[in-house]
Amino acid sequence: MENVLANFDLVLKAFWLTIQLALLSGLVALVLGTLLAAMRVGPISVLRGVAATYVTLVRNTPLLVMCIFVFVAAPNLGLFVGMPFLLKGTIAVGLYTAPFIAEAIRSGVNAVHLGQAEAARAIGMTFGQNMRYVVLPQAFRASVPPLASTLIAMTKNTSVVAVFGLMEATARMRDFVNKNSDDTMLIFLVFAIGYVILVELISFAAYGLERRWKAAR
Amino acid sequence: MTVTDEAPVGGGTPRSGEALVELADVQKWYGQLHVLQDINLTVSRGEVVVVIGPSGSGKSTLCRTINRLEPVDSGRILVDGSPLPQEGKALARHRADVGMVFQSFNLFAHKTILENVTLGPIKVRKQSKAEAETRARELLERVGVAHQADKYPAQLSGGQQQRVAIARALAMEPKVMLFDEPTSALDPEMIKEVLDVMVDLAERGMTMIVVTHEMGFARTAANRVVFMADGRILETADPETFFSNPESDRAKDFLGKILKH
Amino acid sequence: MRLTRLKVAAAAVLVASTLAACGDAGSDDDKGIDVDVQEDAAAEFDEGTRMRELADGGTIKIGVKYDQPGIGFKGATDDQPVGFDPEIGKILAADLGIAPEDITWVETISANREAFLQKGEVDLVIASYSITDERRQVVGQAGPYYVTGQQLLVKSDSKIETIEDVKGTEVCSVTGSTSLSNIEAEGATPRGFDTYSECVEQVLNGTVDAMTTDGAILLGYAAEHPDELKVVVDPFSTERYGVGYSIDHPEMCEWITETIEEAQEDGDWAKAFELTLGKSGVDTPEPPEMDACS
Ligand SMILES: Nc1ncnc2c1ncn2[C@@H]1O[C@H](COP(=O)(O)OP(=O)(O)OP(=O)(O)O)[C@@H](O)[C@H]1O
Ligand SMILES: [Mg+2]
Repeated sequence: MENVLANFDLVLKAFWLTIQLALLSGLVALVLGTLLAAMRVGPISVLRGVAATYVTLVRNTPLLVMCIFVFVAAPNLGLFVGMPFLLKGTIAVGLYTAPFIAEAIRSGVNAVHLGQAEAARAIGMTFGQNMRYVVLPQAFRASVPPLASTLIAMTKNTSVVAVFGLMEATARMRDFVNKNSDDTMLIFLVFAIGYVILVELISFAAYGLERRWKAAR
Repeated sequence: MTVTDEAPVGGGTPRSGEALVELADVQKWYGQLHVLQDINLTVSRGEVVVVIGPSGSGKSTLCRTINRLEPVDSGRILVDGSPLPQEGKALARHRADVGMVFQSFNLFAHKTILENVTLGPIKVRKQSKAEAETRARELLERVGVAHQADKYPAQLSGGQQQRVAIARALAMEPKVMLFDEPTSALDPEMIKEVLDVMVDLAERGMTMIVVTHEMGFARTAANRVVFMADGRILETADPETFFSNPESDRAKDFLGKILKH
Repeated sequence: MRLTRLKVAAAAVLVASTLAACGDAGSDDDKGIDVDVQEDAAAEFDEGTRMRELADGGTIKIGVKYDQPGIGFKGATDDQPVGFDPEIGKILAADLGIAPEDITWVETISANREAFLQKGEVDLVIASYSITDERRQVVGQAGPYYVTGQQLLVKSDSKIETIEDVKGTEVCSVTGSTSLSNIEAEGATPRGFDTYSECVEQVLNGTVDAMTTDGAILLGYAAEHPDELKVVVDPFSTERYGVGYSIDHPEMCEWITETIEEAQEDGDWAKAFELTLGKSGVDTPEPPEMDACS
């Protein structure tokens, strides 16, 4: 019988992997999501179409399907074979989350007063400059709450890779449950608290940003 | 400053000075609505033109076509001799040369006052930060808000914000400045501080096209008044003539209404 | 108390199964062994026993795995599961006078085997069902009819030969399984997947270095890809597969044990192995000693 508390280093190691996954996927999703949002509100219709297609396609695909593609289907075609599992997890979760980020930012863009973009155009900014220096910074400020919920959902979604080779928190929890079926309640509690802490950290950061940016809106 | 002549009704006025902004046979529709009809207008370098007219007559639209915030359907618009570029970088460069001040200020909400004024010079004109800041502080000094440089727009009064907006436009060293009802969103006690800045600007020789109903400003600073109704320029005259002796019935009717207030 | 069986030569089995395959839709050469269905089997069992009820009813519900090649597998288009476990099931059914086509096959997964026995959804569970003390508290387990242990499935050209070689390699199995914990303890990076088939694909496409679980399961996959995969490493745990029955019918233990012992002696057990797990190329092992019923 192996006790969760006696093997707490394994719990920490598993959550560290969950954190790495969340940070890396979050980064990929934020960068790609911002790009998609800019493409969707931009003047080039081909890019608008590409972004809209990606958003529709991926937003309507379950994460599990995305994971099967990245972890099983792609390697069978010879893709991603030598790639570290963490990176594959990042790709799957990051690409999956990007459209949700894009939609959150797009709603933020729509919340930015039209006059802001007009004033930027009037001093001679190009579309890219306008997005980068005027619209998106304000859109981010306006989309902090939906972005935070998206990132929270993403953090919990990282648990899907438990069945795709990554020994993150959920996989380790299953391992403990299997080895020590008398203690399932305690094991569940320990891991649930771990997730709660992670999610609360995100909420806290979002709250801090909102407060900091209040003056500048 | 250019001396104003008598001007014929409805047409473009050939000016004695060098033409800086020229609109010829400009037409614009919003769907079925013909918002700009046969617009011919020439503004000379250093000239101050006030555009006046009832709501919905197309004044804002006229202003916005000059830096192509609104495209036109036909006709020619020249600024400093060259036609407006269609799109992209060239259009952006053109816009940098045409300053615009909006009714609702439109200061960048997430930037400090100083950053509002330096953003364009740094990103568009590629000035160094130090250079842009020195110039920005001068301009803020000139419009009287230098001590607010580190605040955010929301922390300023409307009058202060509009003066910052003027400084922001001036920082780009524009050839011409467009004002679309710059004082109509302001409380009465703040109107004067903004108009004073504009009068000062006019006296320094800036070419200005100003949509406003402030007759005091028109009288002191304008070389010409252009009266618009239903998308047409109905009358062009020097301010004294226009206000004391309007020719068209529409102008008489309109002046009668605004003078009552 | 039994009638003697008609012995059929191995060659005859092959011929028969080939002929049968020609006329039959569904699985081709995986027909399995030809069992000799007892005639008038009911008379052999005492009134009131579960065996008598089943023999009288002429049908039996047997739970097997549907997703473990070689052990218990049913493809989407197959009408019958195939594998070593279903073969054992046919041997037991035949002793009750029930022909293979009268068996009702039920898919059992690892998590529902006890529940299915307790609720009577199945009469027997023959589903790579390791005998453990915990399980014997809630269900009956006769056997072992097969003994296996944790091994590794690797590519044919793999350098992994002993358990020491797994240090620093990536080894997959089912998320949360004991096998995965065991291999982690050996110094490998555990890679958990939802199913064995996904795990095997990771080995085949070269994403991971090995798969680990019970040798019997590994043999089943090796039999599917005899040229690409092989089973290596001396078993480093012991799994004893038993036949599960309801704890309400303790009389079934003797019957199961005797019937399987008989099959071990007369060669049916070996034939069942050769036609299923044996296809991986391994030698047919000695049948294990069955536990005595308490
Ligand atoms: N984007 C648009 N789409 C459709 N119609 C528009 C649009 N913008 C303006 N219009 C219409 O065009 C006409 C002229 O509008 P414009 O804003 O130029 O008038 P204005 O003279 O500036 O009026 P105000 O004094 O109210 O500002 C109005 O009838 C207006 O409703
Ligand atoms: Mg207007």
